[in-house]
Amino acid sequence: MLFAWLCLLFPLIGVLLTPVFASLHPTLRDYGPVFFSFLTAVSALMLLPFLFHDPTQLPMEEMYVWLSTPMQLSFGILLDPLSIVVTNVVAVISFFIMVYCLGYMKGNPSIMRFWMLMNAFIGSMLLLVLANNLIIVFIGWKLVGVCSYGLISFYFRDEKKYWIGGPEPYEFDKPTVCGYKALVTTSVGDMLMLGGLLIMYHYSGTLNVLELYQTAPEWIPVMAATPGMIILVSVLLIAGPVGKSAQFPLHEWLPEAMSGPGPVSALIHAATMVKSGVFFIARLIPIFYYGYWTAGVADAMYFFYIVAWIGAITAFLAASQGLVALELKKVLAYSTVSQIGLMMLALGVSGFSQDLLVKGYTAGIFHLVSHAMFKACLFLCAGTVIHAAHSIYIHEMGAMRKYLPYTWIFMGLAALSLIGVPPLPGFWSKEAVLIATLESEHYALFALAIATVVFTAFYTMRFLGMVFHGSASGHILKQGQKTGHHIGEGYRTQTFACGILAVGIVALGIMGLNAQHLLHDLFEMQLVQDLAMPAIDLVPKYPIILVIAFSIGGVVLGVLPAYFFFVNNKWSIDSVFSRHTILSKVHTFLWERWYINKFYNWFFVSGTVRISSVVAPKEVRYDIIVNRQFPEGVKAFSSSVVADKLERDFDITVHRHLPEAISRKGNALINFIRADAKDLSSNIAYILALTIILTILAVIRMI
Amino acid sequence: MIPAILLQIVFVPVAFSLFIFLFRFQLGKKAGWVAASGLVYTTALLIIALIKVYNGSPIYEEYPIVINPDIRMALLGDGLSIAIALICNILCLALSIYSIKYVDHRIELIYAGIDQRGEISYYTRFFYLFLLFPMGFMGVSFAADLIVLYFFMETLTIVLYFLMAYFGYYERVRVATMCLIWGIFSAILFLAGVLIIYSQIGSFQIDQIHHMSGNPMAFWVIAIILVGMFAKLAIIPLHVWMPWVHAEHPTCIAGLLAVYANIAAYIIVRVLVLPLWDDFQWFGPPIMVLSAITMVYGSLLTLGQTDMKRIPACSTISQSAYSMLGIGALTAASIEGGLFFFLSHVMAKTVFFSTCGIVVYTTHIRNIDHLSGLGSKMPITALLFLCGGMMLSGIPPFSTFPAEVIMFTGIFARADTFGIVIGLIGLMAILLTVSYAFYFAMRIFFGQLPEALANNDHIKDPPLTMTVPLIAIVLLSAALGLYPSLIMTLFEPVISSVIVNM
Repeated sequence: MLFAWLCLLFPLIGVLLTPVFASLHPTLRDYGPVFFSFLTAVSALMLLPFLFHDPTQLPMEEMYVWLSTPMQLSFGILLDPLSIVVTNVVAVISFFIMVYCLGYMKGNPSIMRFWMLMNAFIGSMLLLVLANNLIIVFIGWKLVGVCSYGLISFYFRDEKKYWIGGPEPYEFDKPTVCGYKALVTTSVGDMLMLGGLLIMYHYSGTLNVLELYQTAPEWIPVMAATPGMIILVSVLLIAGPVGKSAQFPLHEWLPEAMSGPGPVSALIHAATMVKSGVFFIARLIPIFYYGYWTAGVADAMYFFYIVAWIGAITAFLAASQGLVALELKKVLAYSTVSQIGLMMLALGVSGFSQDLLVKGYTAGIFHLVSHAMFKACLFLCAGTVIHAAHSIYIHEMGAMRKYLPYTWIFMGLAALSLIGVPPLPGFWSKEAVLIATLESEHYALFALAIATVVFTAFYTMRFLGMVFHGSASGHILKQGQKTGHHIGEGYRTQTFACGILAVGIVALGIMGLNAQHLLHDLFEMQLVQDLAMPAIDLVPKYPIILVIAFSIGGVVLGVLPAYFFFVNNKWSIDSVFSRHTILSKVHTFLWERWYINKFYNWFFVSGTVRISSVVAPKEVRYDIIVNRQFPEGVKAFSSSVVADKLERDFDITVHRHLPEAISRKGNALINFIRADAKDLSSNIAYILALTIILTILAVIRMI
Repeated sequence: MIPAILLQIVFVPVAFSLFIFLFRFQLGKKAGWVAASGLVYTTALLIIALIKVYNGSPIYEEYPIVINPDIRMALLGDGLSIAIALICNILCLALSIYSIKYVDHRIELIYAGIDQRGEISYYTRFFYLFLLFPMGFMGVSFAADLIVLYFFMETLTIVLYFLMAYFGYYERVRVATMCLIWGIFSAILFLAGVLIIYSQIGSFQIDQIHHMSGNPMAFWVIAIILVGMFAKLAIIPLHVWMPWVHAEHPTCIAGLLAVYANIAAYIIVRVLVLPLWDDFQWFGPPIMVLSAITMVYGSLLTLGQTDMKRIPACSTISQSAYSMLGIGALTAASIEGGLFFFLSHVMAKTVFFSTCGIVVYTTHIRNIDHLSGLGSKMPITALLFLCGGMMLSGIPPFSTFPAEVIMFTGIFARADTFGIVIGLIGLMAILLTVSYAFYFAMRIFFGQLPEALANNDHIKDPPLTMTVPLIAIVLLSAALGLYPSLIMTLFEPVISSVIVNM
């Protein structure tokens, strides 16, 4: 338990101490943060014995009250096989990325900010993974988003050399815009997810993960009593992972998220950020599984349908876009989106039948682990390659093998793993995903997955060929002729980090089946024994060999053309394009990312701007009416009607007519009295009147 | 125990104000520090009072003013009022320190060419007027008598009028008058409601208002006072004064203006929601609809601004409505969350607004189209702006996050389709907040630095007296965000336990 807390503490201390280190010595400033990352990785490794020696202790939980009124929330750590496995992926791979940064970021003037953000990023991700409460998970989730924002727009001065996109005549994107886009797009998911969590809280009365699992069969039926509520909550909860893990329809931010420094992309794509969505779905699976299979709520199945379909569609869509991309990191970014889609697919099908629960769950997480390793390696190597070639475009590279022999080997190994060549880990984990999908008997999903495999093989071979093989491009030749410039491997720390990861890939590949069995047993224990989720173990409906045939066939189908086009250049891509015009139409369609990005820009970005540009003048108009025309109207009314008419008339009446009338009447009265005093009868009337008045006064006095 | 602690908290700033006024020429530029020291004292008193209340006993003080009708200077320090008073007082303190340099600069600009004596006269005038703000806020927070509450509310309006007319921007006198009229508009409606209450129950005491419950006039009391308070909170369609007032006043009281507007949410809870719970139910849904519209409209309005000072002004329209959304949902969690959001928002707005002020202070540019890339020359300001943006958009670890969580939990706890729809619209409004906060950060602080700004040596981070108070508020907000139990434990006996018994 202690080590789990240390996993959270070390990155935090690292963040806080970095400014202190920086003020002491530059070397300390650089090695200090990496050392804390090392300590984090060690603490994570110390959690592994739970998995191997005494898995029955799990799940373990330790918590403190965070908020007791008006809602109960605890802050704590939950250790179960899922969190331990993901913690290790995050902490260990992050550490190697940090080592790589030692070389890559050397001499950057803002390096202190970089180190602080990196450690904060790792710490937030670990908080997300280890938290025992979904609100705390959400806090980590938001912090991951903010840190990624800081790192994606790390080059906040937007110098031209850091622009991505293009090449001319296509548009470029500035780092700060990319960071902003990432933040806002993921926030769409975040806000919906928060809504989902809080609605769920209303029914469950808790957001503690284990309590949610235990009580799910009770509150899910209550929730289902309101028609559509389960589907609404499913959609809201899935929206978060869809945003964070860049799944369709919120996938558009990730291809631009590589505008930060190279290792940041590795961190975002491999170890942290985008994996959080997969992790969160895995956290939610037991809830909805109980809902469907234990409590018999039919609507709960929609959760799994949505996840599986989103995953499959994203996998296919992103892989197809990867076929044509020209920026090295963008190819890898599409590939990340696509591979995450496969993980989502596996997690989605895990709820389709009781047989698939453990298989699908294991496949998703196993693919997460293996993908984290080879994608980290790919991105780090890409950083070295881009730095050496002074270009972000693969068509401006070529024949880099002779300049970067080590990077070629490491990147090649990782790429083969991405393609799914046995016995590398990508093969095993992809195999697991495919098996689970086929067993679910949803053939459309399976077809999409196989198409993804073909595309993946093609684009991976394509960028390998264009970067390392063939003949050197004009750009490379020009770079080579520049005096004082040397195209070659990066700093030793960079090569070391890539090498270690490559070794890791090979090791995991060799142990592939064992690792898979281990994960299978662990998750079986977690889900079936500890959580008592109903599961059965059926004999596979399809022979394994069938899936292997499909998968290897798909790989060959993708690799071969790419090999002839880009590696030994036997075939010419240009002549194919000139012969088939339909192909260039498809190319444009893919290059424009199915026009989804354009549509979003038009609909949401310009839409919001349009609305606000409509609102603002309306507001000005309203403002003029209320604050200017209304007072002026009041003023005009008061001067023309009140002052000039009513008041003047009143004034004349009171100050002229009235006194005049009084004086006129007074005169008349006096004249009357004077005149009448002369005869007796009027004197009698006068006296009578006086008497009456005096009597009345007397009566009043007496009362 | 300190005698008459609440009375001291309310009137010690007045004593300091008087002191500054009497010795203005002797004090000169030290007046700012004198004002700050007065507020340090009251903050200390507030912390002592808070500890006492936290341990379970509300403080009640009473000083008769008029025998018939019975008007008493009754002050009540319970969990709710103490928490609000403390945060407001800390903001006053922070802004008084921020003002020390800012006002100096402002006087140089508005009253250029004035002699030494005149300058000191203006400088001290700012601070003796400023100190009436804490008096007003403390008075409003602690008042247990409606007439006393009304008195302090009016005082705030008048002080604001003078400060704006003396130290504001281009159209300061006109806007000050406008603000005064709006302020009196809401105060008159409030007074009308208060008089109806008196006519029905024969008392001005807030703890007697519950006798009105069930009275047919209660509906009209609530309606009249609500309209008045909506004008203060700038709920659509009574929001038009806000952009003007916030744009034209001196930036150093910006945070206080946010309090001035948003404290109406507290008044609504204190005077209407808690005593007249059953009668208030009818008003819940309309309030929620209006608030949701205001949240979205205000955010869109903010996105459309190009004037540096109108940005936070329009954002206040949107953010004040958050608290009202929580209050309108009428569950214990939503009301507590709404009030917590009020406190978090005023802290956030103080940081955000004052940072905009720093940019205007150093660059003398208000149009953001002419600004770009300032982050490299003003890193601390950029960081503060980002923190302000994060605080506004409810990103942990800042206190707006737990406030939003609690508030929306309460809104969804209504468990009807209406609540869920409005709640989701509210969450989308937060998304708009994220959009504009970070959009402006990008426009102003990121990107390439224009030549003219790069060569201007005056553009750099402002003096420490301007940044340190803001950093302190950021840290305070983070502390409350990490440990929201403090505020929630204070609110609980006043709100949750009362509502449970309804």
